[in-house]
Amino acid sequence: MLFLLQLEWKKLYGNTAFRILMAFYVALLPAILLTGKRLKDLPPPMISNDVFFIFPTVWQFLGYIGNWLCFFFFGFLSVLMVTTEYGNKTMRQNIITGLSRKEYFLGKIYFIAACSLFATLYYTLVALVIGFFSTDTIFWVKLTQNADYIPRYFLMCFGYMTFGAFLGFLIKRTGIALFLYLSYIMFIEMILRWGVHFQLVKNRSMHFYPLNAIEDLVPIPIPEPANEFMDEFGFGLFLSPTEAILTTLLYLSLFIGLAWRRVSRMDL
Amino acid sequence: MFSFTAVSKLNTQLYFGMTVLSIEHLHKQYGKIKAVDDLHLQVEKGMVFGLLGPNGSGKTTTLGIILGIIQANSGTYTWFEGQKGSRHRLHIGALLETPNFYPYLNAVENLGIVAHIKRVKQPNFDSILKLVNLYERRFSKFRTYSLGMKQRLAIAAAMVGDPEVLIFDEPTNGLDPQGIAEVRHTIKQIADTGKTIIMASHILDEVEKICSHVAIIKSGRMLASGTVGAIISDDILIEVAAKDLTALENIFRHWSLVSRVVQQDDRLQLFFAAPISPDEINRYAFEQGLVLTYLELVRKSLESEFLEITA
Repeated sequence: MLFLLQLEWKKLYGNTAFRILMAFYVALLPAILLTGKRLKDLPPPMISNDVFFIFPTVWQFLGYIGNWLCFFFFGFLSVLMVTTEYGNKTMRQNIITGLSRKEYFLGKIYFIAACSLFATLYYTLVALVIGFFSTDTIFWVKLTQNADYIPRYFLMCFGYMTFGAFLGFLIKRTGIALFLYLSYIMFIEMILRWGVHFQLVKNRSMHFYPLNAIEDLVPIPIPEPANEFMDEFGFGLFLSPTEAILTTLLYLSLFIGLAWRRVSRMDL
Repeated sequence: MFSFTAVSKLNTQLYFGMTVLSIEHLHKQYGKIKAVDDLHLQVEKGMVFGLLGPNGSGKTTTLGIILGIIQANSGTYTWFEGQKGSRHRLHIGALLETPNFYPYLNAVENLGIVAHIKRVKQPNFDSILKLVNLYERRFSKFRTYSLGMKQRLAIAAAMVGDPEVLIFDEPTNGLDPQGIAEVRHTIKQIADTGKTIIMASHILDEVEKICSHVAIIKSGRMLASGTVGAIISDDILIEVAAKDLTALENIFRHWSLVSRVVQQDDRLQLFFAAPISPDEINRYAFEQGLVLTYLELVRKSLESEFLEITA
């Protein structure tokens, strides 16, 4: 495993796109949350902008910002690191040089896991630092109240990246794969869920779509609209964490399985 | 004319040592097109094996299959008599078609990736880069290289880890005359160290100069194989002429050493199954009362054989 991770690292550390995407994530995660300092007039029920920064709600708000950043930067990275190896024919060369198809594929999956781990550790660090400086009195209970966000955040990032890699392995072309990645998450699944499914059956089964499950791992912290939705339709706006985790795991194993099927059989 | 039976006889000559590669009944089809059609060949240790064929004859497809990047429809191939297991590619250095590297990395970093995959602990990049004449540019990014430099880096990459077998697919493609000479020299140097080399090419001259053995393929089928010497000079051809051509033809038709006589313009082409020296022919004609006005030993080049075979 370390052997394959080192290999991926050697391939990517000199890559400008990789460095830029990582730098953006590192800079933007705290920066976006801290812009909340400038928000004075907040819609009810939020009394002050303190909720963004104090334990335990810092986990939720920072998590939701991270949700968007992981979707963009880590998802892009994942698509790129798969498709550029097709474009440069380096995947083909890696196999000729001696890597087995399985090793190549596992290398990508391991590296995706390593990136997700890095993203999660950074999220944890930023949340802890901002939380410590913003919370007046810190109790252990308060700090750890939403700490289950940490493993969920990891799965969320891993999910976006796996979906990106899946599209990359299937489509091979950087442009089309990126376009599909973005448009599937931003419109196609929305249309499927709200435009088709919700019109046909007003039922919570509409939540069990792959990218919605991944997003609901770290949902947007808006209790008020969520409650209104609950009152009107009789089911929640989001999946429960357990449901989101199970649904995500199910879809991810499907994505990984299909991608592997493709990699193991195709001519390079 | 080219004789298939004589070649296949020579092909069975014994080679002591290990069979590096053996291919049996290999088939690969793209839609209706048969890229590789019941191909079988054997490469022994120490051979410099040329895979010769026109463009689109299935050379690269064959190499792609034995290197694990293309799936064959049927047939088998075995590397090193199966002794290295599934990790056999670690003992093979290969350059297939175009040089493929990470454009944003320099030569040393790119070779570093190759060495990593090959599990080479202390790679000796400097000497390899000097050999292919890229040492001065080793810290330039790959994307800044000219086509010739890229090709030379690919040859360098194939040599990382000192593999037992080297595969070159059109190694002199896109090089200038000096580059071609350098690459051929390099390959010959490698061959002299006793390494097994498999080289695909459509350039006859190249195969003739570098290879010890050759297999000629067309439309995915093997047409002939054997030592380069056997294929080139299997038939000895001598052209003769005399004032009385009919009488000349008559006497040679009755000479047991001659296998065939063909009249071409104002000359006769004599084919001999066994090597013969021109003075014997001259003496024979003189003893029969004819004086030769022309006598030339024509070594058939691989090119004419190739054109005959693939026609």
